Amino acid sequence: MEYILHLFILIAFYTLLSQSLNLSAGFTGLISLAHAGFYGIGAYTTAILSTQFGFSFWLSIPLAMLISGAIAFIVSLIALRTVEDYFIICTLGIQVILFSIMNNWIDLTRGPLGIPGISSIKFFGLSLDSKILFLTLSLFFVAIIWFLLRNISKSGFGKTLTAISEDEIYTQSIGKNVYLSKTVSFTLSAMFAAIPGTLYAHYISYIDPTSFTVNESIFILSIVIIGGLGNLTGSFLAAAFLVLLPEALRFVGMPDSIAANMRQIIYGLILVIVMMTGKNGVKELFTFKPKL
Amino acid sequence: MEIFILIIYSTLVYLLIALSFSVIYFPTKFFHLAHAAIITSGAYFVFYFENKFSIPFPLAVALAITAATLIGILCEVLVYRQMRHQFHESSRMNSPLAYLIASIGLYVVLQNCISLFFGNDTKIINTAEVTVGNQIFGAYITTIQIITVFVSITLFVAVNLFLHYTATGKSIRAVASNSELCNIYGISSNKIILIAFGIGSALAATAGILSAMDTNMTPTFGFNLLLYGVVAMIIGGVGSTRGLIAGSLLVATTQHLAAYYIDTKWMDAVTYIILILFLIWKPLGFSGKRLKKVEV
Repeated sequence: MEYILHLFILIAFYTLLSQSLNLSAGFTGLISLAHAGFYGIGAYTTAILSTQFGFSFWLSIPLAMLISGAIAFIVSLIALRTVEDYFIICTLGIQVILFSIMNNWIDLTRGPLGIPGISSIKFFGLSLDSKILFLTLSLFFVAIIWFLLRNISKSGFGKTLTAISEDEIYTQSIGKNVYLSKTVSFTLSAMFAAIPGTLYAHYISYIDPTSFTVNESIFILSIVIIGGLGNLTGSFLAAAFLVLLPEALRFVGMPDSIAANMRQIIYGLILVIVMMTGKNGVKELFTFKPKL
Repeated sequence: MEIFILIIYSTLVYLLIALSFSVIYFPTKFFHLAHAAIITSGAYFVFYFENKFSIPFPLAVALAITAATLIGILCEVLVYRQMRHQFHESSRMNSPLAYLIASIGLYVVLQNCISLFFGNDTKIINTAEVTVGNQIFGAYITTIQIITVFVSITLFVAVNLFLHYTATGKSIRAVASNSELCNIYGISSNKIILIAFGIGSALAATAGILSAMDTNMTPTFGFNLLLYGVVAMIIGGVGSTRGLIAGSLLVATTQHLAAYYIDTKWMDAVTYIILILFLIWKPLGFSGKRLKKVEV
């Protein structure tokens, strides 16, 4: 039972991560490979504030979001000069730099040793040690972010973002500030990514840089693409599918060591198939659309 | 003196990788990141043929390069070509972005296949000769490093001659400059791209084997190497093979100076910092060829 709850909490984390990436990648078309970096910034900010200054969860969440957002803003000033595939390569570079900082700035992050002993969340004197309470808290955040992103996508700003992803020059010609919209979308996306980071640090109570590698970024991006760009429900379903996939493989009787690789092979294949057929996410693979 | 030798050696390794990548990049115009898995698989095939079938080393290398080239060609035939055919002239999906994401998927698949068959631990290719350091100008350099330097220079010159003086090479450059027009003039761009994938993958496998013999290998070692090559290519300016020399030299020099004066662990970060600085101040690279990807 404990383990099933753990899986649900992981699904909540990846839902938060993929939906926040969906804001920049799905709605705006800024496909970024630096998302695990911002997730890591959230986790590290929380870990440092909590262990060294004794900040509580409710105080470190806004601070983590601010720091992640500030770094994303600086990054966007550089990265948004490039488009399409160069943008991906540029964000990949930023991901490597962020990982390098987490791994090598020993004074601040303790490097590969990681930061242990992050206290669990206190909520009006009630300690959220049990998994069921933690899951409730995570679901609360999933609900808020889902609601926010859904409203953003339906607002005028969201429509501008969709227009940018479809035709940037046309959007500029009707008087929208393309550059500002892109910056805001990228920064917001990174700020939302700090929330699962904070939750993760408090949940695991120990963080080290290996949770925030390029592979993690690729994994989050795969969730978004498999779920469909701009499709929030799709992101949630894809996150659930990919988190539960190794369990399913284990259930079939595959040993642990193979199941981990098999999961990656399966999501890699789905990624290739989705891109090859030109469909937006797995959902469209199975729906028949008559050609006009 | 030691550091100069190291810089020259690294430059030539990156040059070979950047060359193998750009032979594919020029005609196709997309980032074939699964190339990293080709680099890795070349080295692992040598390991496999040598240990499993105890084939003599030179033959194992030849077989490994062939096998890795086949994988590269299969990527093109099974995935990229299908994509090109499916989205001919269609608006959004025919962008380099779609190919890049597909290639990331391919890389994940191939890299995990390697992990699955060989395990994630570090492997070493056993070479017949004992690698004793040779002393040149007071600096030690291994035999493998000397071989790498010569192989890299030879291949670079050979590929350049091939691209400029043979019909096939000229066709590759023609497809690179305008593939539509080539199809009109009767040069099949599909065939040319296939040849480019073959040459690029063979070069990548060679580079992978050489660098695995110098140090050792894990299933992910190709990705870092490839990214250094890609950075060298972007810095050098996409579209010129001579720019690659300048790009690789700059990447290698900065890395080793950073390792010497700061710490070896910052080598990766420094590489990408140069990439970003170039994208800000000199987005066209050394060669100055105009690229529509960057707002100047």
